[in-house]
Amino acid sequence: MTETEFLDLVRLEVGLSFSPDDLVRDFDELPGWDSVYLLKLISALEGESGRRLPVAEVMEARRLATIHELVGAS
Amino acid sequence: MSEGARRAGEELAALHASGRLAERYPEVRGLLAALDEETGEWPPAALRRAGTVLARLGHEAVLAEHPDTPCVTVGITGSFTLQTLVAPLTAQLARHGLLLRPHLTGHGQFALQLSDPSSELYRAAPEVTLCVLDADVVFGRVPPPWTAADVAAAAGEVAALVEELAGVQGTGRLVLNTVPLPRERAAQLVDHRSRTELAIAWRAFNTRLLELGLRDPHVTVIDLEPLLGSVPRLNDPRTAAYAGTAMSDELLASYAREVGHLVRAMRGQTAKCLVLDLDGTLWDGILAEDGPAGITMAGGYRGAAYQSFQRVVKQLAAQGPLLAVCSKNDDSAVREALRDHPDLLLRPDDFVSVSASWNPKPEGVAAIARQIGIGVESLVFVDDNHAERGLVRMALPEVTVVAVDAAEPALHVERLLADGWFTTFEVTGDDRARTARYRAEAARDGFRSQVSSAGDYLAGLGVRVAVTRPGPADIARVAQLTQRTNQFNLTTERLDPAAVARRAADPDGLVLAVRSADRFGEDGLVGALFARWEGAALVVDNMVLSCRVLGRGIESAVLHELVAHARDGGARAVRGRFRPSPRNGKVRDLYPDHGFAPVTPRDDGEAAYEHDLTDHPHPAPHVTMDWRLEGQTDDRDGIPGPRTAGGRAVLQS
Repeated sequence: MTETEFLDLVRLEVGLSFSPDDLVRDFDELPGWDSVYLLKLISALEGESGRRLPVAEVMEARRLATIHELVGAS
Repeated sequence: MSEGARRAGEELAALHASGRLAERYPEVRGLLAALDEETGEWPPAALRRAGTVLARLGHEAVLAEHPDTPCVTVGITGSFTLQTLVAPLTAQLARHGLLLRPHLTGHGQFALQLSDPSSELYRAAPEVTLCVLDADVVFGRVPPPWTAADVAAAAGEVAALVEELAGVQGTGRLVLNTVPLPRERAAQLVDHRSRTELAIAWRAFNTRLLELGLRDPHVTVIDLEPLLGSVPRLNDPRTAAYAGTAMSDELLASYAREVGHLVRAMRGQTAKCLVLDLDGTLWDGILAEDGPAGITMAGGYRGAAYQSFQRVVKQLAAQGPLLAVCSKNDDSAVREALRDHPDLLLRPDDFVSVSASWNPKPEGVAAIARQIGIGVESLVFVDDNHAERGLVRMALPEVTVVAVDAAEPALHVERLLADGWFTTFEVTGDDRARTARYRAEAARDGFRSQVSSAGDYLAGLGVRVAVTRPGPADIARVAQLTQRTNQFNLTTERLDPAAVARRAADPDGLVLAVRSADRFGEDGLVGALFARWEGAALVVDNMVLSCRVLGRGIESAVLHELVAHARDGGARAVRGRFRPSPRNGKVRDLYPDHGFAPVTPRDDGEAAYEHDLTDHPHPAPHVTMDWRLEGQTDDRDGIPGPRTAGGRAVLQS
């Protein structure tokens, strides 16, 4: 999944628009972010990719880039 | 996803992206309707996403822009993390035009929050409190190794705890749920005998919870078992383990939908009439092209599907919802088919209104509402034609529109029942007889057209009114009247059965149940009056009268007797007030028209009136009144039920 595709999915699923720079920012610094969105992203990403994500690692992530890597960046 | 749903989704996203969602909030309800009704997905992802966005926007931002938006405070508590319930609940309430003000308690705090009157939950004063329980509430009490008997004992403790919590009031309507038994619990027992014991114990536990909903009028129990059948999974073990979400998003979305309809019912927004298209909706084929012999609703795969749909429609109609037809067809052909088609399960008598013409459907739908005498917001319109649905939605946005797909009639039932538009707390005898009553009304209309004056009409009707204190069997119907009556509702104060029972039991209170009948039939319990003694004044808090009996002098007869009753009881004044709502304009002058003088008007539009009892209002002509308030000062052990006066059996319902 490309960076653009990943950010598009985040925007679609949680309604927040982030720039590529935001990927590496800590969730605490992302305006509007809520930890409950991680759960939404997990189901959306798994639905999109058809693959299971390592959920514990997603839950431990502190930035979107980590999740993007777990999905498999391309 | 259809074009309409895609557009609605894009529009919602654009509003959100431009930061104008709060400002344009009044459009959201229509967009959600389009999103939900047109989507093929189940549960709809678009609605889930809308919920996330709306929940983040929050009720305060919307209220800042639109202070009059109706807002519901909902307490959310339970045995696990329920943060994930907020978004779907926000979306579901928004579909009904309601804003969610959520009050979420810390997870697992339900017992503490519900039992302590000084808790944050109590302070939030919710209208509804959802106490969502999962299996861990029981299994958390049985350390391994456990047996079915251990689980039965623990479940008994939990049921007793919940029963105790339900007895405490002050957090609004309490919504409980049956608790699903996860397979991974049952499967920990290796023998079938133990699994059977566990299954029996578990059902006994759920039955005890369900019984609370029957016993306690302020408790509703949502049965999750039927919901589980339509969602992919109870939970995701991974997020359950790491985040404590014991129920999947899909199940919570489904649950939130049920809660939405429950709140809708509490707010008096239960739909009243199901308006059906014919070709492709009620039967297969096109009447105008295929002729009566060419339309099918029995036999073959598709015929059987249409027959199932008709059965469901008939089932719904037997419980109160009225039926109507809105079809683009020749009127005579439709009437003939309804009367004569051998396979049709519904006949002309089942419909209170048949609108068949080549006029645009919004006209037909509006005409149906007018004919029945209800607002278009009480209609649920079902059609397989995308364009017709779009027209109705555009011209009459208040109408609920349900999409069915003629290409797959086997899904008609699921689509119709996906939402509980007709959900109510209790079906009353009045509901079951409603269609017959609307037909009597048609006979009355016929009579009205034969007589020359309104006076002759009223004299000819022979209206009889009986006023009693509500008996135990009347409480549900009286509550329903406060919830459903919009036009003749002086203050639009909605009461649930528990609140009605409390008022009726109050020694200083006076609750009246009004029944009426005329030569065309019984109307049953059609009105209620809520008053209380304040010193030497009888204060009327509200009066409601079903719109179907307006214009017969019933309200005048009741007010006349009430004033006389107050004077006989030593009162020096009768006071009343009128609080305007969007729908009750026609009773604005009820009090002044009956000899009440205005007291200082208030800024909020509410008007207060007082009758000093010096001048008695004129008795309503043409109305025979039977005023029977025996037991007025009795202890409350036996609220006298309505009794049959000589020759007045007709007034019983």
